Amino acid sequence: MVEVNQEMSRINRSYHSSEYYLKFVKSFFRYLLLIAIGIVMISPFILATLGTFKTDLEITAFPPKWLPAVWHWDNWSRVWNTDIGQGGTFPRWLFNTAFLAVMVAVSQVIFGSMAAYAFARLKFAGQNAIFNFMLGTMMIPGAVTLIPAYVLMTKLRLIDTFWSLILPGLVGAGAIFTLTQYFRSIPRDLEEAAIIDGATHIQIFSQVIMPLARPAILTVLILQFQGMWNAFLQPLLYLNSPNKYVLNVALSIFQQQYKSQWNLTLVGAMFNAIPVLILFFLFSKYYIEGVAYTGIKG
Amino acid sequence: MQTKPRDPTRSNGVLISILVFVGIVVVLLFIALLNAPTMGGPRVMATLQTYLTEVRATAVPFMIGVGVLAAIVAFFFAREVHKAWPNARRRSEMFTGYAFLAPYLLVTLTFTIGVILFALYISFNKYDIFTRPIWVGLANYAQAFKGFTDSTQRDFLQSLYNVLWYSLLVVPIQTSLAILLAQLLNAPMRMKQFFRTVFYAPSVTSSVVITLIFVWFYLKAGYANFFIETILGWFGVNFQGLNWLGDPRGLIQLIVEAFGGTIPSTQWYFRGPSIAWMAIMFQNIFTTVPTFMIMFLAALQDINPTLYEAARIDGASNWQVFRKITLPMLKPITLLVVVLGTIGTLQVFDQVYLATSGGPLKTSLTPVYLIFTEALGRNGPINMGYATALAFILAVIIFIFTFIQRRVIEHGTEQY
Repeated sequence: MVEVNQEMSRINRSYHSSEYYLKFVKSFFRYLLLIAIGIVMISPFILATLGTFKTDLEITAFPPKWLPAVWHWDNWSRVWNTDIGQGGTFPRWLFNTAFLAVMVAVSQVIFGSMAAYAFARLKFAGQNAIFNFMLGTMMIPGAVTLIPAYVLMTKLRLIDTFWSLILPGLVGAGAIFTLTQYFRSIPRDLEEAAIIDGATHIQIFSQVIMPLARPAILTVLILQFQGMWNAFLQPLLYLNSPNKYVLNVALSIFQQQYKSQWNLTLVGAMFNAIPVLILFFLFSKYYIEGVAYTGIKG
Repeated sequence: MQTKPRDPTRSNGVLISILVFVGIVVVLLFIALLNAPTMGGPRVMATLQTYLTEVRATAVPFMIGVGVLAAIVAFFFAREVHKAWPNARRRSEMFTGYAFLAPYLLVTLTFTIGVILFALYISFNKYDIFTRPIWVGLANYAQAFKGFTDSTQRDFLQSLYNVLWYSLLVVPIQTSLAILLAQLLNAPMRMKQFFRTVFYAPSVTSSVVITLIFVWFYLKAGYANFFIETILGWFGVNFQGLNWLGDPRGLIQLIVEAFGGTIPSTQWYFRGPSIAWMAIMFQNIFTTVPTFMIMFLAALQDINPTLYEAARIDGASNWQVFRKITLPMLKPITLLVVVLGTIGTLQVFDQVYLATSGGPLKTSLTPVYLIFTEALGRNGPINMGYATALAFILAVIIFIFTFIQRRVIEHGTEQY
């Protein structure tokens, strides 16, 4: 109250009072609205996190309580120590997911930036045709390639191996597009000097362009990591032994296995969510730039 | 320029062009061989020999077709190589360029173009991987539309009906919410970064996580019923908790029944989206709005501020500024968001698989879910041909939709 009064008296001195008062009320309601929406946006995570500490009975009791009566930390260790047989354990799934996400993200950056260099800095016959072809493939709905890719994987005997997810994910149009746009925005002056010194394209690419493109590379790395971490349909189709599952697939098995034990399913869900949420809060700038950047092509 | 070593370079160029031609044809034929429409299974795939026998037996027309295509592509390419060869700089750029593009070209030709050609061929066949494909002409496509005459085979039509409602409701709602949120965040304020980060959080986690949390919310004893009951309780309204994800009653059906009418189950196509389906829509809107909000926010920040200043000087109201400046300037990004939203909503899968498995009474069945179950033989025998035919029909529908949207959005806003 005191603060508001001080604020008001300051206003009276400097501004026409009613106008400033209106402005103050407006911004007050704006913040109230922002806070309310913010709470709605993160409420699923908060309620789910609180739910992970409840007992089997509490989790489906009606009306639901906000807080658990007793905090059951052991739910987390119960899930961590789950073993569904044939090597299907929780740490294993976490490792599989992280391994695949890192592999795909790194290879997307390496091969993607090579292709982007070819598009942005070289000039050769067929370049535009291939670039337009690439934009065209981005319009192909995923549903069309889903089944034939599965048949191809069975024929190559890659079903139930990580190769089935790594090979098609080695490089993709999305990453190439983002990197090409960024490479094009880098001024050419720096390379001119290198060219005069007789540098080859491989040297210019690895020693001039790549260091300058660090923000775009980080963006692609993070978005691809997140994409693979969150992938569901392909892993569900390709990986069928318990020791090969990724977290998302394991979670869908979990849900069927622990039908009424929602507290355990939610622990599994939070194990899945926490790593990406941490990554997001650390690198939110790059995330948001990446999403915004994909929008610019429109 | 260089006249002296002309002849050796020329002849080298021809040789290299021929090598390039042969190389391209071989690589493309190899990719086609991987995607040849033969039966699979361990017996056939045991050795290269058994597989090649199988290709000879069933896939000769396919291989010839791809071979002709490959020869045409390789011819044009070889001609370009021949043209570029005498110039050292062009030659080196061309070879570096294709070397750098090689990983992408190989991956995309194998896992996108190759598999699509295979799928197109197989959609005219009866095929279950483990036996030879049998040519059936358009039978798979005809079967998809049998529901028009035989309502017991209406799975695909019902799934299309469901996703059309889904797009119709989800796309406009999520697009307008995204614009509003972006507008709210674009105003000058403190802690902008913080709010932006918090708002974006639901889009970061996997749809599996969010769907599971929402399935838990939607339980009869879940938070959804609790919140609605509490809020309606403040106004003295008594609310009976719903079993959200198990309620097949449709939106239109509910309205008709409120006026005392009924819609029989044979007229399922008049019932509208079911309560279960709308619950899933709500969850989907919740997770996709933040992504689109960020796209709009980026576009809003690109609008030239002098436009706003000019309007203010002319005495335009907030609404006029929004209507006459902001919306028209957002046109390209709106088109993108609407198109991406439509492509996404017509291909819903994760939510259906985890939350409802297509039920109740098939009111949340979607084409991709149907394709998935047909291909894995969860509705009876494995039916790859039918599944791929459904995928192509869906793709055509998606293309038509995005084309119409492009036309409508580009024309409808010309007046500004």
